[in-house]
Amino acid sequence: MGTAVYNWIDERLGLTEALTFAKKKTVPLHAHSFWYYWGGLSLFFFIIQALTGILLLVYYRPGADAFESVRQITYQMHFGWLIRSAHSWSANLFIFSIFVHMFSVFFMKAYRKPREFGWFSGMGLLSLAMVFGFSGYLLPMDELAFFATKVGLQIPGSTPVVGPLLADMVRGGPEVNEFTVQRFFALHVVVLPALFLPLLGLHLWLVQRHGNAVPESEAAKPVAERKSIPFFPNFFAKDLAMWLIALNTLAVLASLFPWDLGKPADSLAAAPPGIHPEWYFMSAFQTLKWLGSWFPGALGEFLGIGVFNVGILLWLVIPFYDGSTRSGQRGRRAHYFGLIVVTAVAITTIAGYWSVR
Amino acid sequence: MNYPFWNVPNVGSGWVIGMIAIFHVMISHFAVGGGFYLPLAERKALSGGRGQWCETLRGHAKFFLVLTGVFGAVSGVGIWFSIGLAHPEATSTLIHNFVFGWAIEWVFFMVELTTAAVYYYTWGRIDSKLHLKVGWVYAAASFLTLVIINGILTFMLTPGDTWLSVAGTGQEASKFWEAFFNPTYWPGLFLRIAVCVSLAGIWALVTTSRIDGEAFPKLKTDMVRWSAKWLIPSFLAMPLLLGWYLWAVPESQRALLTLGISTIGSGTFSQVTRAALVIVMTSATILGVVYFLAWRSPVDFSFSHALAVLALAVMATASGEYSREMLRKPYVIGRHMYSNGVRVKSVPQLNAQGFLPNARWIRADVSPEYAKGEAMFAGQCMSCHTIDGYRSMRRLLAGRNRAAIGNFLTMLHDYKPDSPYRRFMPPLSGSPDEIRLLGDYLDHIVSPTAPAPTGKAVASLH
Repeated sequence: MGTAVYNWIDERLGLTEALTFAKKKTVPLHAHSFWYYWGGLSLFFFIIQALTGILLLVYYRPGADAFESVRQITYQMHFGWLIRSAHSWSANLFIFSIFVHMFSVFFMKAYRKPREFGWFSGMGLLSLAMVFGFSGYLLPMDELAFFATKVGLQIPGSTPVVGPLLADMVRGGPEVNEFTVQRFFALHVVVLPALFLPLLGLHLWLVQRHGNAVPESEAAKPVAERKSIPFFPNFFAKDLAMWLIALNTLAVLASLFPWDLGKPADSLAAAPPGIHPEWYFMSAFQTLKWLGSWFPGALGEFLGIGVFNVGILLWLVIPFYDGSTRSGQRGRRAHYFGLIVVTAVAITTIAGYWSVR
Repeated sequence: MNYPFWNVPNVGSGWVIGMIAIFHVMISHFAVGGGFYLPLAERKALSGGRGQWCETLRGHAKFFLVLTGVFGAVSGVGIWFSIGLAHPEATSTLIHNFVFGWAIEWVFFMVELTTAAVYYYTWGRIDSKLHLKVGWVYAAASFLTLVIINGILTFMLTPGDTWLSVAGTGQEASKFWEAFFNPTYWPGLFLRIAVCVSLAGIWALVTTSRIDGEAFPKLKTDMVRWSAKWLIPSFLAMPLLLGWYLWAVPESQRALLTLGISTIGSGTFSQVTRAALVIVMTSATILGVVYFLAWRSPVDFSFSHALAVLALAVMATASGEYSREMLRKPYVIGRHMYSNGVRVKSVPQLNAQGFLPNARWIRADVSPEYAKGEAMFAGQCMSCHTIDGYRSMRRLLAGRNRAAIGNFLTMLHDYKPDSPYRRFMPPLSGSPDEIRLLGDYLDHIVSPTAPAPTGKAVASLH
């Protein structure tokens, strides 16, 4: 019976063909193989985001009722708190995984020819993930979400000339209010998924097309000495085990540290002390703060935005600068650039949390 | 109330016990399960002519001896020290009832330690059949330590009606066997056996993961898979055993499991539900990870994979022990003694005569009013709460003024049948004057600008 069903499906969808292909595909095995799991983990957390997001959508009401609906989810619906906590924690783990994936790709030089588009699409996915995070953070419309969004919008708002207009457009007015929630909701559940999914498809197709990159130390070995394992079932089984561990980590975080809901947002109230944006914006927030205090006025704003745009651009175009498959001076410089970026992000993030403690 | 108070800032004395206990359970349950793993594996090696197995098993026996004989024994003593300091009243009750139980356990414990050392040091030096017998003696002795301690641990949750009928009469020890074979004894024992067996497999995976898979693929495949199999029976039985255990737990305690289904927050006591979720989730993850990493790819099964499984086991054990402790709330010994060491039967007397008249450890370097408020906190709250850390009073009472704190204390003192706090918290015992001083003390803790119970400067105390 089972075979008959399989054959029926196979005849129409070509399962055996896909399986044979998956068995032929190999994954390199070396000292740095651990980093190969982070792309899959990012995908896994995105799937969790989508599933828990759909469940939250059943009860969430954007606009003036936003806070009340989240209050009901958190305090009345059976396991509503768990779904919401899982959604919030997986959002953070999702962005964390992408960051780890990005830095591992960078330091393994996996952006080099012919994987440039993999790098660009990955950067696009990270940007969209951060906008996902930012737009989702406001949706409960509690005190913390309200003021953190207000502070967060200072970053695009500080862009010279177009900044204020841009911030007004995002907010739906001069202040963060229920209209902002409506806009962020539409962005969060319609616009961003519509952009993210095709880009994700492209990214996965490129990974499939070019396979896993190996670090230079591995590439330098004779082919006979390199080790690899079949993608299916060997690497796939390990990937599933990693997904299980990730799911467990998420379950532990969501259960033991459930996402709290603060007081309803009140635009007339004073901002609670120590208000700050989410951790993945902390580096940008602190850098702008420093530049603003060192160079008051428009110069500080201009410098802040300039530093960011140039930095992001340099990071993005690294495959054009260090595109050769063999490392030379450019490869070393790119490596140092990566180390500087990691250090700068870490220092500014820690300083940011230190300043609002 | 003649014992000094053990103040562990931020962490709380309960967590000191908890951390030592979780570490101890991971090792002591391995000591029992591993006690069966070693002779069974050795028998398999001897009967099947698997010479290479013996080399690995010898290494495992050395690891086993060091881990259980040193860390297991030391952490066991650590539990004694910590429970004696954190819960002197409860420890005293246990000693008075189970002194012979513990004496028997220590006899088995001495046999266990001795045979574990003999088993390792005589490997290859005595006849293999005799060596195997030493292993079986160890297994029996370690299993019997579990049989004994399980009676005492389960007694704390469900002492049983027979023992409770003589509690406080001085005749408690006459009901030793009724207290020992209490309502949760058998489900508790089988549940722990299941944990022991699975931990034996998990720790064995740590050792077998270190076999060189390239040089000895068959040896590694056989031993990793054989160790992984140890998880199957216990994981199949665990849901049934958990159900049996919960069925034996009193309804009022069982209800704690459902409190966190529809809500969150430390104030709503949903910790048991949340910890139970972690147990279920982590147990399922262990099974899945062992299947995908160890069973499917035994040759590639690495030390880091084994450590990941072990970390998951620590998480499941920690959640299990935490849930078990929380299920006892508001008691430390079910229906006999509240979690702050106050006996249930003593509450009316303490309310009439006061909580502090028998207290011998009240500070003399501050005003008597402040010292009494502080002693009330230490005696009735500090076994579960800290000032700033775990279940912090500053956080839980934040935003309440003196009147609100007073109302809350009155509610705890009245302990009405419909009070939601009855499920987790003991009643507040003491005279109205003592409760007022506790209120002043808490008010001063929560709002340092509020006047200290006497007006004397005491801010430097905290």
